[in-house]
Amino acid sequence: MTLEQLLADTTPALLDIQQRDLTEIKQAKDWQAKYRVLMQLGKKLPAIPEKMKQPELLVKGCESRAWLMHYHDKATDKHYFVLDSEARIVKGLMAIMLCLVNGMTTAELCQFDLCHKFDQLNLKPYLSQSRGNGLTAMVSRIKHCCG
Amino acid sequence: MPTFDVQQFRQQFAFFQQQPEWVYLDNAATMHKPQAVIDAVTQFYQQYNSNVHRGAHQLSQRATTLFEQARSTVASYINAQHLHEIIFCSGATAALNQIAFGLMHTVLRPGDRILLTQLEHHANIVPWQLHCQRFGVIIDVVPLTPDHQLDMAAYQQLLQLKPKVVSFSHISNVLGHIQPVADMVTLAKAVGAITVIDGAQGIVYQQPDMQQLDCDFYVFSGHKLYGPTGIGVLYGKTEQLARLTPIFAGGEMIDSVSFINTTFNKLPFRLEAGTPNIAGAIGLSAAIEWLQKYNNQQIVQHKSLLLKEFYTGLTAIKAIDILSSSVHNAGIVALNVDSEHPADVAELLNQQQIAVRSGQHCAMPLFSYLARPGAIRCSFAAYNTLDDVNRCLLALEQAVEILTA
Repeated sequence: MTLEQLLADTTPALLDIQQRDLTEIKQAKDWQAKYRVLMQLGKKLPAIPEKMKQPELLVKGCESRAWLMHYHDKATDKHYFVLDSEARIVKGLMAIMLCLVNGMTTAELCQFDLCHKFDQLNLKPYLSQSRGNGLTAMVSRIKHCCG
Repeated sequence: MPTFDVQQFRQQFAFFQQQPEWVYLDNAATMHKPQAVIDAVTQFYQQYNSNVHRGAHQLSQRATTLFEQARSTVASYINAQHLHEIIFCSGATAALNQIAFGLMHTVLRPGDRILLTQLEHHANIVPWQLHCQRFGVIIDVVPLTPDHQLDMAAYQQLLQLKPKVVSFSHISNVLGHIQPVADMVTLAKAVGAITVIDGAQGIVYQQPDMQQLDCDFYVFSGHKLYGPTGIGVLYGKTEQLARLTPIFAGGEMIDSVSFINTTFNKLPFRLEAGTPNIAGAIGLSAAIEWLQKYNNQQIVQHKSLLLKEFYTGLTAIKAIDILSSSVHNAGIVALNVDSEHPADVAELLNQQQIAVRSGQHCAMPLFSYLARPGAIRCSFAAYNTLDDVNRCLLALEQAVEILTA
């Protein structure tokens, strides 16, 4: 498995999440329904193989660990990401985050306001959960990629 | 003798009236405060607030009296021989740091050994590590048996290495297992070791008797005994406290200062640098006085009833991996849902307003020993009810259903 292969698997999965699942999450009738979708999202993304999870890719949450890989296409100035987490709900939330930023240019990524987007999806509480789930750490890692 | 009335007990906690929808099972992290504690702290700030031991006015004398009465309440609660054996500090972590720092050089010298156990949380590992590395002191660790109890045979073998200090928890913060502390102290003393007991979880389970237990140090935090946060107790026998080099300096701990030399005040003040947490000490004292209105044996019975119900309910839920033993358990259950990450289980419980802790509970060495990424921890207190137990079980069932769908 290479980064290229992971990227090739991630991009269409994100597109699918964006086109189908986001609406479903927004319209979920109860928390159970929302969480069932959230946990399916993580499964759509490819898993990063254990031996590729180098220490420098680790994004530490208080309760679970996640990994982020980054590819910058210099010709188009677009940023692409691959991520994995040991917790399914966190991976689902990170998948949503990723489908919002994947393929953005450096300027777009710098300006991106995740809080606002998550608010629109009724997911904002997950960002304010301090260091607990590692989402805020993942946001700053992604932002760091464009700086 | 009337039985323990959990509803009457629970009514003393405003929190449960404010947040009736929550099931609070994170008591090993911190406990709720009864009205008696909140009132004592409020009353101090509203009526007596002043610094202690140094004011030239009556207000300060009143604050000093209340603060010293708090010391006396703690001393008699744990049956310390002398008032000056009670050192107020910010909590168990601060106390363990003081002991580890304080024994280096005065007791522990390069090449000496100390003995810890596999069950310890970071506060009873890292302070030792920090100072042992600097002073060249070796740390040995007592392993566990297959049912995750302390391996007493191994403990006795490791004592033959003649550790100068043995430091262990009264009750494991992850598994809830009660250690045979009395036997452990006796065995350690037989080889001449100084004994340190981390009572962070033990203090609320049982009223410890220092003179009977005969340990050299016992430490605990007020907030795990219905008291305020930021106050804790370092108990030490007089002759052992005298051997501690103060970790903090300044304020009342000083007798006289010149730029050539400083002489220190007598105990307990020598180890209480700076302005103490006066309101915290008064709050802790109020917690102890309030708690003594109840029969601890009945509370222990009530908690074991909750635990029994919880264990029975757990066996009916599929795919539950229980790490805690139901015997010698003080009311803490660490568990996982098979092949699921504890963070996911905890989040699904959180959605159902069940407060538990998840992760490695500041005990990473224990989890690497258990070969688990972490666990969720349900910890019960006297104010928890059978209804809390049942709601948690139902929520767990719902979590399992969502996770395995």
